[in-house]
Amino acid sequence: MSFKYPVVMPKMSMTMETGELINFHVAVGDQVKSGDVLFEVMTDKIDMEVEAPADGVIEALVANPGDVVEIGKPVLIMLTETEVMAFDFGTDNEPVAAVEVVAAPAPVAAPIVPTAPIILNESVKAVPKARVEAANRGIDLRTVRATGPDRTITMEDVNGAQLDPAIAKRQAANKALIAKGIEMTRSIAQASFTRSVNANFDHATFIAAWAKVLRNRPDLAAHQHVGVALIIESKYGSALPVFRDPDQLNIADLAALVASTTDAAKNGKVPVAMLSGATTTVFDLTTYSMSSATPLLFPNQVTSVTIGYESATTKIVSLTIDLNFCDFYDGALLLDALVASL
Amino acid sequence: MLTMAEAVREAMSIAFDERPEVFLLGEDVGIYGGAFGVSGDMYHRYGAERVLDTPIAELGIVGAAVGAALSGMRPIVEIQFSDFTAQAMDQIANQAAKIHFMLGGALHVPMVLRTPQGSGTGAAAQHSQNLEPWFASVPGLKVVVPSNPADAKGLLLAAIDDPNPVIFLEHKLLYKIPGRDPVPEGATRIPLGVSKVVREGKDLTIVATGIMVNKSWEVCEKLAAEGISITLIDPRTISPLDMNPVFESVEKTGRLMVVQEGPAQAGFINEVIAQLAGSSSFGSLIAPIKRLAGMNIPIPYAPQLEKAAVPQVDDIEAAAREIVKNWR
Repeated sequence: MSFKYPVVMPKMSMTMETGELINFHVAVGDQVKSGDVLFEVMTDKIDMEVEAPADGVIEALVANPGDVVEIGKPVLIMLTETEVMAFDFGTDNEPVAAVEVVAAPAPVAAPIVPTAPIILNESVKAVPKARVEAANRGIDLRTVRATGPDRTITMEDVNGAQLDPAIAKRQAANKALIAKGIEMTRSIAQASFTRSVNANFDHATFIAAWAKVLRNRPDLAAHQHVGVALIIESKYGSALPVFRDPDQLNIADLAALVASTTDAAKNGKVPVAMLSGATTTVFDLTTYSMSSATPLLFPNQVTSVTIGYESATTKIVSLTIDLNFCDFYDGALLLDALVASL
Repeated sequence: MLTMAEAVREAMSIAFDERPEVFLLGEDVGIYGGAFGVSGDMYHRYGAERVLDTPIAELGIVGAAVGAALSGMRPIVEIQFSDFTAQAMDQIANQAAKIHFMLGGALHVPMVLRTPQGSGTGAAAQHSQNLEPWFASVPGLKVVVPSNPADAKGLLLAAIDDPNPVIFLEHKLLYKIPGRDPVPEGATRIPLGVSKVVREGKDLTIVATGIMVNKSWEVCEKLAAEGISITLIDPRTISPLDMNPVFESVEKTGRLMVVQEGPAQAGFINEVIAQLAGSSSFGSLIAPIKRLAGMNIPIPYAPQLEKAAVPQVDDIEAAAREIVKNWR
């Protein structure tokens, strides 16, 4: 089975938000080997060659030379037979069988629905103003039914499209703040809440509990599912395997999945199917005996949770929320519900 | 109510009265009164020295006018059919248009070349062309395409004032037609390079030139009765082209249709589309841009085919109705 794998604009510095695609070293249909240079990127600080993360075939060039691409947005799509991919290799030169085909995690009873093939270069026909409107309102045009001639999306189609509830809420919050004369910036748009918890729990229990809490608040996610990304640190860097709808798995199966995925990630490998679909992020700091860190909200995620170390019997659970989506009261309720279920 | 031919004659007469250096030359403009009767009685009123009948030699006529303009005169050239400007193109495009620039602005060529254009008279392919893009694509020429008597008078007076060559394209079918608005008395100029918003509506923007403004007007009237309201814009001067009213209007209506008589391929009206497509107003479009233009064929002699070769009122009406209905 082959996978579509988007090679994205990498983040090369803390302040980098976009990079300019200078040129491609490959064309559609080219066979590439892991490490082959795919394209060159220029930022305000650095020029860099981006290499193929695995052997494969170039399926599509999504961006054009000269384009300024946001970090995380695809530049090209590869088709790879490599079922399991390494994440960040960092600068570690130690030979790692990073892209070798290894067995997928042991199958668990409940089916893990693999992420659908990622088709990012799919084109949508829409009148120009519909694109503007969709972008302003956060509507994915691929989800809009086209009724115009030649299956083109018209203004009527966009106006009738369902607005993502989370984005509707964000817009309302923005409007309210703007009305009060407060300028929205990222720095004031998030808040953190902390509670001490006298309980012992493993990652699987925690992930399931948190997913269950979030499931009761579908308005806070831009997705139909709950995807919990668990940050796993290793010498290769950070891996963020995503557990989709973990609260709907048998807890023993989930525990086995978390364990096998953690092992794989520590070896620099995460199944491709687990690389996308995160709606929230969990970071366990107890490994480092830290009580808290300044958590960052990932783009398109409204929440993140850290588990901190207080004592042998007490942990500190910190919740960070995006104030564009929910208010302090929401945050308090969420944390309360999470702690109560642990 | 003056017809366009009468309005043009009135403008020329005012200019004759205002400035002794203004004169008219061309084939049959004198005793005969012009192939389409535009100069009329001017020969009798101003004499043979100011209304000059010339031999049938377009290159020589325009060349003489360029020379006169360089010598301080203000010639008005009439070429019987715009098709015949091909004979004079070296003087028009290589001399008149460029002298001011190639001499670093030291000399001016204050010359107006008036010529009837267009189809609909059964005069076949060599006497029926619409050659707007020929002239609009030559920097150094200003190009005026009046659609009604009032504009023709004010624009021609401004063209005669202009210190450099102006091509003034009059549609034959409009000569005998009075305009919707009366022609103002006096010598009021209409500045070149200012588009006119003929009427305002909210559903569609139509940009049309020359006779197509009149045909589009009929469509606007008809569709207004059905609740479709249309903004109609007449650039009047196609070079230089004033696009601002087009941008502003498209931002309101979201739909653009352009109409010209000349062939679609490389036609002038394509410039309107190109500028709109390259502007920020592009994001206001809620429909693909519709272009109505002549077919890419020489104008046929057979009357039915001649009619079918260029946009007619019915075509404009159907296209306007369709764009408004299909794109919401």
